[in-house]
Amino acid sequence: MEKLKDALDFSDFSKAERIGLVIFSVFLFAFPWIGAGSFTTTVMIQFLLFSLFGMGWNTIGGYGGQVELGKAQYVGIGSYTVALMMVWWKVPFWVSMPIGILIAVGYSFIIGYPLFRLKGHYFAIATICTSLVLKDIFDNWNLVGAAKGIELPIHDHPDFLYMQFKSDTYYYYFIMALFYIALFYMNWFRKSKLGYQLRMIKDDEDAAESLGIDIRWCKIKAYSIASAFVAVGGGFMAVYNLYIDPASTMELSLSIKIALMAMLGGAASLWGPIIGAAFLVPLDRFLGSWLGGQKGLTGIDFMIYAALIMIVSAYQPRGIWGIIEQFRKRGH
Amino acid sequence: MSFLTVENIVKDFGGLVANNNVSFTIEEGEIVGLIGPNGAGKTTLFNCIVGYHRPDSGKVTFRGKDVTGFRPFETNRAGIGRTFQIMKVTTGMTVLENVMVGSFCRTNNRNTARGEALHVLGDLALDAVKDYYINELPIAIQRKVGLARALATKPALLMLDEVASGLNPTEIEEVVELLRRLNSAKKITLFLIEHIMEMVMKVSQRVIVLDYGEKIAEGLPADIVKDENVIKAYLGEKYAQGL
Amino acid sequence: MLIADALLQGILMGLLFALVSLGLTVIFGVMDIVNFAHGEFLMLGMYSVYWANLFFHIDPLIALPVSAVVGVLLGLASYYCFIKYLLRGPAIAQLFGTFGLMLFLQYFAMFLFSADYRMIDKGLLVGKSLSVGPFIFDWTKLAAGILSLIAFAVVYYFLHKTKTGKALQATSLNKEAASYMGIRTDRMNAIAWAIGGGTVGMAGGLLVNFYYAYPMVGILFVMIAFACVALGGFGSIKGVFFAGLLVGILEMIFPVFGHLIGSDFLGPHFKFTVVYLAYFIIVVVRPQGLFGWKN
Ligand SMILES: Nc1ncnc2c1ncn2[C@@H]1O[C@H](COP(=O)(O)OP(=O)(O)OP(=O)(O)O)[C@@H](O)[C@H]1O
Ligand SMILES: [Mg+2]
Repeated sequence: MEKLKDALDFSDFSKAERIGLVIFSVFLFAFPWIGAGSFTTTVMIQFLLFSLFGMGWNTIGGYGGQVELGKAQYVGIGSYTVALMMVWWKVPFWVSMPIGILIAVGYSFIIGYPLFRLKGHYFAIATICTSLVLKDIFDNWNLVGAAKGIELPIHDHPDFLYMQFKSDTYYYYFIMALFYIALFYMNWFRKSKLGYQLRMIKDDEDAAESLGIDIRWCKIKAYSIASAFVAVGGGFMAVYNLYIDPASTMELSLSIKIALMAMLGGAASLWGPIIGAAFLVPLDRFLGSWLGGQKGLTGIDFMIYAALIMIVSAYQPRGIWGIIEQFRKRGH
Repeated sequence: MSFLTVENIVKDFGGLVANNNVSFTIEEGEIVGLIGPNGAGKTTLFNCIVGYHRPDSGKVTFRGKDVTGFRPFETNRAGIGRTFQIMKVTTGMTVLENVMVGSFCRTNNRNTARGEALHVLGDLALDAVKDYYINELPIAIQRKVGLARALATKPALLMLDEVASGLNPTEIEEVVELLRRLNSAKKITLFLIEHIMEMVMKVSQRVIVLDYGEKIAEGLPADIVKDENVIKAYLGEKYAQGL
Repeated sequence: MLIADALLQGILMGLLFALVSLGLTVIFGVMDIVNFAHGEFLMLGMYSVYWANLFFHIDPLIALPVSAVVGVLLGLASYYCFIKYLLRGPAIAQLFGTFGLMLFLQYFAMFLFSADYRMIDKGLLVGKSLSVGPFIFDWTKLAAGILSLIAFAVVYYFLHKTKTGKALQATSLNKEAASYMGIRTDRMNAIAWAIGGGTVGMAGGLLVNFYYAYPMVGILFVMIAFACVALGGFGSIKGVFFAGLLVGILEMIFPVFGHLIGSDFLGPHFKFTVVYLAYFIIVVVRPQGLFGWKN
């Protein structure tokens, strides 16, 4: 009960932030009615999906300060669990997604146990390695479609059990619901014991240990929470795209994007991943459709994207939210 | 059976023996000082007791329990708190949040943790700075926050690594008062490293002296300052004459 | 027989891997930064030789210095225009920064050269092979292995025997002490990036003789280089040499084992999985590197 209250309580934010949240929420709810085209709707769905990923990453990467670059493997686990169970045994989404989460969490504990013996660069590269190993396996495993991937059977009629709808609007509202669950969860998380302990670990590991914090165990817990978030998003990707392959679910660039959105928006803040996704997803999409499609300009879109990453990391490593906070502090 | 028993601790940093066969005991409720010249191995000894280093040999027993080789968080949960000689200047959490992390060691509830943290801060007269970040504070206050943080974990034994260094005489006086109060009112056993002689001598009931990793003396403050070995190793002529 | 052959081929590849990884470990040693864009330096080294060959009909072997020069310039440009500023930020920003550089160079190559796979089809050594007893070597691979070894030896000599090299080593041992001794850290960093770029660019020039050049080729090799650097112990020159050999041999020998025991899961597709797994296991079990050498 108290947890629920904490999750819904935004009172420690400034008035501007709370008003912003309300306006943003109204916009989200009303969005399908303002007559946006299907392209914009897909962009919005991507935005909500990446916000979800980013919020998950923020537990271990933002609050915990661990450079985690292997989240894509959990996108893969979530989406493959849903897809395979549906193809093989006709298991409904609502059963297969929780199973996907369980597998992701179980797997994250197994991987996390050795992983969190490592620090710094060793850790960052090891997270990439674990993710690539899984991708390699799926790329070559014929039973799960290998590099060709798998297609989900398309139903003739809309089917809630299997999350198959004709219109993107339903998917939009579904991912929006997941987004809010994630947002409320994170709002609780940042005030929870684990949230405080992780921030201490990020600040000063030695001091954290002297205050009775089992550092490794805390990191593993946060890592598995992040993995669960990401697996949910992966499950959604499977039913939304109706087609998955290792390249779209487990690629290194996906891992990096997830971490990057949170970083760019402002790690270790509730709004950071959302701001980051709101910035990068449309940029990625619009650059892609404007420039990527033009003959002779392939690559320019990603060059701009990459240049932005470079500029932000060199000049404002605390992200967009960091800039806003700086201005606010100056205002005091 | 003693409260804390340290037996034959040896810590060798690849040829540099920072602790050589150090043994002593501390009784419940005592205030014990640990002194020695720079590099004598005092911090290393703390680290061996608390678990940041695993001693090469030797044994540490706390309240009848063998805690040798425990991880620092385990010794903390067993009831040993400690502060650091060099406190990392961090930017991520406010003073209150720092102390709350300490309180979270004994509770899962945020409101309880917050209440206790505020209580500790009030006790140390730190309420005024509770919303500042560590990097915004002068070093003396930073050290006090370190102390508050450790206190919030409700230790039975508190090990302080040079809490008073860099303080002016009035501030030292306050810290001495504070330590006495913690010891008498909260029944916390204190074990402190200190360079400032006036303070160690004033506050400690017993003093242990390390030099080149070895324990060269142990006894009442009044006896220690007269001990020839100690004078030679550490205090130097100046202090002896000053007495 | 199969195994002996794989071993020899593995050693040749391993020598090249060692050269690829050398720059990464030098840079890491001197400034404690992991350069994700390392593989893209390799990629551009490959392209430089490819274009020199295609447009000016310079033999790929003779064009080798071009790739080294391109690498050095890239390294210096990256350092002075970008990395220098990155150093002020936290470690995580540095990782993302070099990752951004990697993406940038990848898509820059895509923009300029398109995503096509390109391979050199004429050259002194291309397509020729040498048979020694039962073994058959591609001349291109043989040359790559031997020239890598020579390049490695030259850099090793430079680092251990020349004044600048010694200063570089001192910086990687202890930055502060080195700067008290009057060694200019900034200059050392730049030199490290020049060496890093030059060696890996040259490795690219050797690689393109028998491997496709395409914009994304770098990621594969940077992962191998990460594995080698970790196995050798971050920053260790001697370590990275043997680690390179080991990875080269592993990569060649596993598919052979797989073939022998008839297992699909050790097939050629998984040769890099083996490398990643080796990295993971070794850093977990022995974070000081396989050999525990510090430079
Ligand atoms: N982690 C370590 N690795 C190697 N040597 C160490 C390490 N920690 C301490 N030392 C060395 O051990 C010796 C004892 O150091 P220690 O910090 O315990 O001294 P100290 O008595 O606390 O000195 P000070 O009064 O300056 O704080 C010193 O020579 C120091 O250089
Ligand atoms: Mg000390």
